[in-house]
Amino acid sequence: MESFRLLMEGFATALTPVNVLYALVGVTLGTLVGVLPGIGPAMTVALLLPITFNVPPASAFIMFAGIYYGGMYGGSTTSILLNTPGESSSMITALEGNRMAKRGRAAQALATAAIGSFVAGTIATGLLVVAAPMVVEFAISFGPEDYFALAVLAFIAVSSVLSRSVVRGLASLGLGLVIGLIGIDQQTGQARLTLGVPQLLDGIEVVIVAVGLFAVGEVLYVASRLRHGEPDVIPVGRAFLGRSDWSRSWRPWLRGTALGFPFGALPGGGAEIPTFLSYSIEKRLARGPAREEYGNGAIEGVAGPEAANNASAAGTLVPLLTLGLPTSATAAILLAAFQQYGLQPGPQLFDHNPALVWGMIASLFVGNAMLLVLNLPLAPVWARVLHIPRPYLYSGILLFAALGVYALNSSWVELVILYVLGMLGFAMRRFGLPIAPAVIGMILGPMAEIQLRRALAIGAGDPTVLVRSPIAATLLVVALLALLAPLVRKAAARPWGAGRPG
Amino acid sequence: MSVTEEMVGVERSDGGFSWRRPELGLAVPVLALGGFVIAGTADVTAAGSALGLGPRFFPIIVGSALILIGLCYVVDVLRGGHGDPEQTEDADLGARADWRTVALVSVIFLAFAGLLDLLGWIIAGALLFFGLSVTLGAPSRLRAAALGIVLSTVTYLTFVKGLGVTLPAGLLSGVI
Repeated sequence: MESFRLLMEGFATALTPVNVLYALVGVTLGTLVGVLPGIGPAMTVALLLPITFNVPPASAFIMFAGIYYGGMYGGSTTSILLNTPGESSSMITALEGNRMAKRGRAAQALATAAIGSFVAGTIATGLLVVAAPMVVEFAISFGPEDYFALAVLAFIAVSSVLSRSVVRGLASLGLGLVIGLIGIDQQTGQARLTLGVPQLLDGIEVVIVAVGLFAVGEVLYVASRLRHGEPDVIPVGRAFLGRSDWSRSWRPWLRGTALGFPFGALPGGGAEIPTFLSYSIEKRLARGPAREEYGNGAIEGVAGPEAANNASAAGTLVPLLTLGLPTSATAAILLAAFQQYGLQPGPQLFDHNPALVWGMIASLFVGNAMLLVLNLPLAPVWARVLHIPRPYLYSGILLFAALGVYALNSSWVELVILYVLGMLGFAMRRFGLPIAPAVIGMILGPMAEIQLRRALAIGAGDPTVLVRSPIAATLLVVALLALLAPLVRKAAARPWGAGRPG
Repeated sequence: MSVTEEMVGVERSDGGFSWRRPELGLAVPVLALGGFVIAGTADVTAAGSALGLGPRFFPIIVGSALILIGLCYVVDVLRGGHGDPEQTEDADLGARADWRTVALVSVIFLAFAGLLDLLGWIIAGALLFFGLSVTLGAPSRLRAAALGIVLSTVTYLTFVKGLGVTLPAGLLSGVI
């Protein structure tokens, strides 16, 4: 009941007029960047970091949370209405959703995605309220060696799960870790890997890395093989669900939520696996008309994965808030945002800043409700956004990327660094290296180093201190298994790749 | 960072999957970066703590791991493995890579970075938007120019006057 009382206090924070306004700005912006190809929530939050420096932390995080959730809603609109494959987490939605839209059921596909996201987001946020204090209680006794083991697990899991090729995921992680090393060592004040460039002494800011890898990399990549001609957007009216669609959707929503939340909460679980699992489970459970429609636009195949997608977003917040452990690129940027305010997520955050944490959690409920209103009647408006001519869209993205990075320190050198990181992001896309491990490695790497050195200092240099705690030992074993699992999976005739359509 | 330049040079010669293995242009630099991290921190000679865990400790771990990963990556590429280019809404994966556009975008962006302080945000930003739109195939130059001027002016006024962000006024410093 303690968390219920705190949650109510959180609502008091979240429902002040100013914070409601921040939430509204957040969810609108989030939906917009989710709908627009080429940019996403991670990069948007990163770009807003320097601008929100003077905003009170509670309001800033309410806005960031809105962007995070809004991006999920917006992404599904794009994958349903745009006849081209998008990013991996919404690719599953596109499978059935786009076929539904082509058959003239775009309104129903959008509605089941939006309502399903609302149902899943609300239930999963409720689960977050229950789970977070339990994890906090457990984590309060964690020592540095446990945090180090957690970071290692997150590194390995994110790299091996998020990419089809483990070595490419790990290469991406390594690039991120190296970027994180650049600058002055926090404990001894020594400069590392700065190549004599004074602008590198403070390290490369998260904003530059995120905007470079995501935005500039994407623009360069798209420029190299731009699809010419008008984007092929399926027209849509107001989103709504008929009675039979309701009865076909609600069970997939709940099953998707049950899959999405735990996977989101695990390090490296992400949104890809639960959405895919939900898709194949719904396919297997389909009876009657649904069975015939599957592969040709079945509503179950949109309802389940979309719910799983949103529930996993809420799940991601559990390790982020309670342990300071980011498991997705957006979560990593949120962690950087906490650091900007001098806050360290973890058990202490719940103790010292309950108003901030619970205000943010309460705002998730508020934001979800707003998103439902924004997405059902306004679906045609978001569809119109998809018609923006691509030359203007990508030029605009680069203009805003330059604005955000220049606003940091008014330095043209940082614009050049931005471009270099953009080329790196381009090459990574071209060769199928996932971006998320690099971002997580860059942000979590320095913290892993601090915990490692702290643990070894406590253990007087004896490396066995790293496995002396049963928690740390277990986590490291799990990390090792996560590293080996894809190899085993490959050997075992690719059980979950077998059903993958297209 | 020579790493990325090198990578682009190798990439440029490629059309699709060939014997030239363009992915080595990324895999080899990953391997080299591992060595660079170890060598590049060799001069960091802080009198580490009494326990010998100085600022070189973690870089050595990262560098060694990267060398190992880089070796596996190079071997994987040599044995014919290749990553799938990322799918994204506006990229036509079937198309041949258009290096001219990438080069033009790069030149325009770097020129923008170099001239920003001199020209000021409004002029440089408008030129950036105009140049990129035309390069990426905007149908109407007039419209691209108008949009560029509107966007850069609106962002300048919003961010400088409204949000207190510092952007250079440049040539227009007396006017605005």
